[in-house]
This record gives sequence, C-alpha cells and structure tokens, in this order.
Amino acid sequence: MNKGTLPIVARLQSLQTAARFAPGRARIVADDTAPNPLADLLRAVNETMMGRSLQFDSPGGPSLALDVSGRRVLRVTSAIGLPGAETCLGVEVLEDEHKDDLIKLLQGIAAPRHELRLTSGPIGRGGEVVSVGLPVALLADLLLIDLNLPDIAEPEPEDAPPAPAPTEAVFAPMTGASLAGGNGLADFAGTIGPELVAWLVSGGEDDGRASGPDEMVSHLQGFLDDEREALDRQLDILSAAPDEPIAMMLGATLVEGHSILCVRLGGGILLGVIEGDGTRATLSAWRNLIA
Amino acid sequence: MGVADSLGAVVKAFPQARLVAFADLSSRMILSSSGPLSATQEYLDRLCDQARASFDDPLFSLSVEAFGEPHSAVVMVPDAVRVFLRSDTEPADALCCICDHGIDLPAFVTKLRDTLEGITHGG
Repeated sequence: MNKGTLPIVARLQSLQTAARFAPGRARIVADDTAPNPLADLLRAVNETMMGRSLQFDSPGGPSLALDVSGRRVLRVTSAIGLPGAETCLGVEVLEDEHKDDLIKLLQGIAAPRHELRLTSGPIGRGGEVVSVGLPVALLADLLLIDLNLPDIAEPEPEDAPPAPAPTEAVFAPMTGASLAGGNGLADFAGTIGPELVAWLVSGGEDDGRASGPDEMVSHLQGFLDDEREALDRQLDILSAAPDEPIAMMLGATLVEGHSILCVRLGGGILLGVIEGDGTRATLSAWRNLIA
Repeated sequence: MGVADSLGAVVKAFPQARLVAFADLSSRMILSSSGPLSATQEYLDRLCDQARASFDDPLFSLSVEAFGEPHSAVVMVPDAVRVFLRSDTEPADALCCICDHGIDLPAFVTKLRDTLEGITHGG
C-alpha cells in the first residue's frame, strides 16, 4: 500500500472489513483469536505467486522471513527467536529434506493465541527466483491444512439474476454453438498472423493441427499433455460457462516480448506463443470469430 | 491525483472501457472503481477472483518457465474484453478492467500500466 491508497484503506477499516493493517506496512494475517494461525500463514504464502520476501512477525516475539514464489517457499532468509533455524538458514534453495525443519519454524512463528503480522517486500538474497523450493500444498498436506477458504473453494455456478437493467453487469454465457461465425481454432490462429509464432490445437475438430518451430510446438504439446485438466479449471473460473468461447493472453507487458495465448472453443484448446505486440491482431481475430 | 481520479482519467480517455477498478489481490478486494458499468459487489468480487485466477497456475507457471513472470493478462469472452494488470513492484496492486471489443488494446494496456504504477507509487 502507499499513500495514494491509504484513504481507501482507512475507509475500509472504518467499515470494519476483514482487511486489517498494523503500523509499518504490515498486514495482520491472524489475530490472537484466530483458530489456526498456521493455516492463515500458509494461505498468505500460497497467495504469493510472484517472487516476494514475506516477513512474518509475532509482536514482541519471533520473526521469520521467507523468499516465496509461485506458491513455493524458496528459502529462509531470516529467523529471530526461533530455535533450530540454522538448518534452513544456510540453504540456498529448500528441498524435500528440509521440510520437517521448515514446518517447525512455521509452527514456531504461527503460535496459537498470538497475533501474526505479514510484511511483504522485494525478494531477498540476490533477487534470484527459482522454480523449485517447497510447494505450499505439500506443507499444507503434511500439516493437514486445507488451503481453500470455504467461500472460495470452487467457482460458483453462474447465477441467474432477475432481469438486470441494461447497464448492469452480468457474466452472461455464450456457447461455441451459438457463435455466428463458426470458425475453428486453426482458422482463428491463421487470422492472427505472423505474431503467433507457434501454436497447437488439442481436442475439438482441429485436434492435432499445429504450426511453428518443432521444439516450441513440442513444449506446448508436453504442457497440454500434463496440464489439460488444470488448464480447463483455470479457464472455467474465467468463463461464464464451461462451453463459452474464451481467449486469454498472458505476458509481461503483452505489447512487447513474448506472451502465451490460450483459446478454448468447441471442445478444443489452442495454446500458442505470441512474439511482440499481438494484442491488436488477436483481438481482431476474436472479433471475427464472434461476429 | 488520487486513485479515483486516476481511474476516471482512464475511462475518460477510453470510452470503450466500461469499468476500471483498482484491487488489492492479496485481500481480494476492489478498492475503487470508475466507469459506466453498474456493478454489484458480487460482480466486483468475482472480477477480483478472475484477476487472481489469470495469474495462477497452470498458465502462470508456463509463462514463468518460458518468458518470466507475467504482469499482464487479457481475457476475451463473447460479450467483453477483460484486462488485468499487476504492479511490477507491489504484486498485490492490480487494475481490473472490462471493455468493449472495439477498444484500442495496445494503447489501453500502455495507459493502464502507467496508471497502475502511478497509483502504486502514490503519484
């Protein structure tokens, strides 16, 4: 948070919302009445997808700083008032053999009936982010903790609000069958043009169609082989209905460098790589698809 | 310029933007919004969840492994285009937007990036 958002936070606090803050940019992730502060700690770590340093403090008590990225604990960068921390502190990247020691540290910092504060900052040691470390899901399993809060466990099915006003927002589903254009994923890829440097279709009427360098297509194929179900779940959250056509671009800026393109239509998924600014071409192709 | 003014400036510059909202993804809250779309709290909550889902696995991991951490996402559905941007320096700070298909997407994304960094740094 910064000074621009402080008035908003102050208003939210005045409204007694769940967001609570402590001095020094700290967020209170568990108060002294929280039934399971360790679960709150793990959820906070689990929400951290980009590389960050998370420092957990118990006021007047111990402190623990972790480098976290992609729902994984990469390393322990600081531990104060926590016995046995030395086995984790000297480790550049935590591995499976460290999980028991790390769990003891987490249990030490997230003691019941103690407030737990979180301060987030740039990732620590040298800024290095690696894709290993200990997954939060593994730690949660070992501690028998459910990382999902009851109200966000699964995406809700689409509500059917009664006759909204014309300007009222609704997530209205449209199925692939209801599209006037009726073009397939391969046609969609062709419409985008040279910005789409590699792509592959899995499932649907264009199953197996692909274009681009072999090594890139092979990598996309491997990803779809491993992650198709998880990818469908991710797209389900973003769609109004499971069979609603959807396209997603994901990248650093989307207007330079490389981006990932994922499109689901008519039972098939297209996965591709865009080079440079593909936003205009992709949106144009999308407009043609749904015209 | 305050947050609300910054969001309002985006809507004014891009009439195809139906809603521009500033969110704290870590607490799943839309903190401020601007635009002609009349959105219920449930709608805003869901929009915030969709922003989080956009930067989640498995596509997040694929992007990280291939090109580095993504900070921008565009989701196209039949009735709208949704744009989600996360701050480079404060990952919980994000803009969540809903636009018509006719929007100038490259210019909009660039404007949003400047706006988000301005908000994050208190500009």
